Amino acid sequence: MSTASTPPNPAEPPAFHPGLIARSIAFFSGSVGLGIKVALLAASNALAVWALYVLATHHRWPALGVLVVATLLIDWVYLAPVRWTLPAKFLIPGTVFLVGFQIIPILFTIDVAFSNYSTGHILARDQAIAAIKINSLQPPANGRQYDIAPARDSSGRLVLVMHDETGGKVYLGTPKGLTELSKSDVTIGATGQPTAAKGYKLITGAELFTLDQQLRDYKVPTSGGAAIQPQGTAIGVELKPTLRYDSKRNVFVRITDGKVFHDNGLGSFVSGPDELEPGWKTHIGFRNFSRIIHDPLVRKPFLSIFVWTFVFAAATVFSSFAVGLFLAIVLDKRGLRFQKLYRSVLVIPYAIPGFLSLLVWAGLLNDDFGVINRVFGIHVPWLFGGNVFSWLPFISWPRIAVVLVSVWLTTPYFFLVSMGALQSIPDELTEAARVDGGGAWQIFRRVTLPLLLVAVAPLMIASFAFNFNNFNNVYLLTGGGPYNGASSIAGNTDILISYTYKLAIASGKGSDYGLASAVAIIIFFIVAGISGVSFWRTKSLESLR
Amino acid sequence: MHNSLKRMWAVLGLVATVCAVAATSAIASHKAGPTIVIWTDANRAASVGKVANAWAASNGATIQVVTKDFGSIETALGTVAAADAPDVVVAAHDWTGQLAANGLVEPLFPSKAVSAQFPKYTLDAFSYGTAVKKLYGIPVQIENIGLLVNTKLAKIPTTFAQLESEALAAKKKAHLSFGICVQQGSGGDAYHMYPFFSGLGGYVFGTNKAGNLNPKDVGVANPTFIKNSKLIDKWNKEGLINSKTDYSVCDTAFTKSQTPFWITGPWAVSDIQKAGVSFKVIQVPAISQASVPFLGVNGMMVTKFASTHNVDTAAKDLVVNYFTTPSAQTQLAAAGGRAPANIKAKATDPILAQFGKASKGGVPMPNIPQMSSVWSDLGQAWVRSTKGAGAMPAARSFKGAARAISYKIG
Repeated sequence: MSTASTPPNPAEPPAFHPGLIARSIAFFSGSVGLGIKVALLAASNALAVWALYVLATHHRWPALGVLVVATLLIDWVYLAPVRWTLPAKFLIPGTVFLVGFQIIPILFTIDVAFSNYSTGHILARDQAIAAIKINSLQPPANGRQYDIAPARDSSGRLVLVMHDETGGKVYLGTPKGLTELSKSDVTIGATGQPTAAKGYKLITGAELFTLDQQLRDYKVPTSGGAAIQPQGTAIGVELKPTLRYDSKRNVFVRITDGKVFHDNGLGSFVSGPDELEPGWKTHIGFRNFSRIIHDPLVRKPFLSIFVWTFVFAAATVFSSFAVGLFLAIVLDKRGLRFQKLYRSVLVIPYAIPGFLSLLVWAGLLNDDFGVINRVFGIHVPWLFGGNVFSWLPFISWPRIAVVLVSVWLTTPYFFLVSMGALQSIPDELTEAARVDGGGAWQIFRRVTLPLLLVAVAPLMIASFAFNFNNFNNVYLLTGGGPYNGASSIAGNTDILISYTYKLAIASGKGSDYGLASAVAIIIFFIVAGISGVSFWRTKSLESLR
Repeated sequence: MHNSLKRMWAVLGLVATVCAVAATSAIASHKAGPTIVIWTDANRAASVGKVANAWAASNGATIQVVTKDFGSIETALGTVAAADAPDVVVAAHDWTGQLAANGLVEPLFPSKAVSAQFPKYTLDAFSYGTAVKKLYGIPVQIENIGLLVNTKLAKIPTTFAQLESEALAAKKKAHLSFGICVQQGSGGDAYHMYPFFSGLGGYVFGTNKAGNLNPKDVGVANPTFIKNSKLIDKWNKEGLINSKTDYSVCDTAFTKSQTPFWITGPWAVSDIQKAGVSFKVIQVPAISQASVPFLGVNGMMVTKFASTHNVDTAAKDLVVNYFTTPSAQTQLAAAGGRAPANIKAKATDPILAQFGKASKGGVPMPNIPQMSSVWSDLGQAWVRSTKGAGAMPAARSFKGAARAISYKIG
């Protein structure tokens, strides 16, 4: 019997094996995707409802309206079965974050820059007027203080049983005035507080606190416009207003001499040099900017600080790049032993929080006690010192120290970036250059570096912008010091941002956020200008591709 | 169709979440009775909560303690939304001017019996006003710096000359670069150098007729001080003072028994005790005048938000009548490791008692907002003239600082 060989199966169509990416996209496109979409939308809606609740309790109606419209719009874009909303689905998440974390803070900064927001100008106008009224209450000459007990009389009205601390007499206080009570009718406790009064029911416990507003507004008139007012539930103080607010004329009038304090349009009631505290927050036009131009305190050191800031940022970026690139090239050698170890060690400065390493460096560089001077047996005045060369006052030891530490912190970044960029340069190019007889330096200079810069130059500009505003580096290392001039507002190592901080937050009468925002805007334009020009210049590099 | 079914599920899901969130927020916002919100730093949170709750339990109120970074309380009070704002805050006395000028805190009126239990300067420290002063805070704990003397290395000096010669002898013996360790740094530290400044006749602000600090009267370069300032140059030359010392340098030198003299406050004590160094705290001996330290007072304030929340009377009762009692003060101050402000409260710690003696005649740090113009310039003036080689003569340095300060105050 011959066994007929089984005929081969008719050729099956080759099975289609989609790739991992395609499969994962497919996985998310069905009901899983819908579930995720619904979950994310529900989360964003829940967040919106919570925000609605908060905004409603704060009576922020315009913001509430915007939120409602935005939320409904987002829901519609993701749920509506229309094709043309497709691009919006991709754009919305980024746009929301852009608006929330970039646009709104910038708008807020601009708003503050045109306001007088500073110590003494924090409240709104009506709040400030209320606070001035409270502040104007003074105990009159021979004003008395009483231990009080809120009580109800026979018809349930709120009255105060009062014990005069100095005279020892007891009184009944009502909105009509004081009436003396017989001492035998009132029991006085150990602290001087009335604890019982015949004919009156003393209010105690939780009920007392329900009377907060009534007690705050309660006034027992005495002579000459003064009144006894409860301060808490146990003390009544005789107080007399020293200022009267005339809402028609919008002025405060001092009662004793009739002196008028008028609204100066800059958030204060003033009369000559006298100013009532507190003031309020208001817009004051370009005053903060004109102060920067006209105030010699701001203007005089501005140019020299600007030059130093520029040099600091540029020196940091170029030195870090040079050192980082050198290390990257050295460690790029194939077959180098412990290559990974070296690379890890070099990245350490980048991994340690900057705050920590800056404080450590401040200790290491200390002129007398620092490890660096001790180990090398030198006496370099790193932090307190003066000029390196007497003929070049621009270069001082503290400035060198600030740049050195900054380079130490920034180098690992450029090391990593250069390493990556070097590996992306095709070997054929350098190979070809070598065949053409180029030396190592020539190859680096003509082939490697230009190709490298295409990738690294934009990062250098970003790093420059960062270092231009590197507040921590200066402030934690030298505090802006040393202060070698007789006048001590701008320190030797102060950069624009640390100087701004000192000017706006730690000088004058407390903090001046308005001035600080105005300077911040100016710094923004400087950095944006420098970066813009640099980016425009680096476009020429891209023609290499 | 299939698609519309999906859509329905989606909408249903959204509606369900929305309802759940609305319900939870409604529940969370429901409170019973007056709730007093207190902002405090982490160190004191537990004891503030305990003391306040003891009061609240007997008065039918609720206390909510919110822990904040101490230094941030002052600024946060100006920016917080009314709904989240505190009714009572733990505060340093030198914030008084800023907070009162901003209209953020309420004047307080303790009874005469209560006021009598506090040293006058502690109440002055919390008082502010451009015309008539008012009290804006209740003092709770006090602190100041003193001269710590290692009793194994040196005798307790009774005169400044004795201190100077002992310090210089110790410096030579241990090959140190300073005689007395005074915490400074390249930015300067006016708080820690103040005993020398006051001993030479310096002052920050004078007072006007009403007894208020006068920001137009800056005494940083007053003639008496300038006349005496040659001594600073002498100390710099002989190395008695060296501004390159910071806290860690002093801490190491004192705990390792290298230097016998350190000017610091109660916060350094635990380190020294751990190291087993026996020491005593005294006031820096008088130079040309008493070398008094700056005094710092911490306490409690009632904010303007208490009236917005309708707990103003309750908050004032708590702060003025309860936090002032000796037992409350003892507990609150113990949590901060400082001496209580109430003279009837018991401070059993012998070292705190020594610091208390070292505070004699001390000056509360000025609490007017203009003080923010002074700190850095005063500290820098000192560093410029005590940084060893290349130092500027003190007279010139302090005159420069005085000019800068007056200019900044305007």
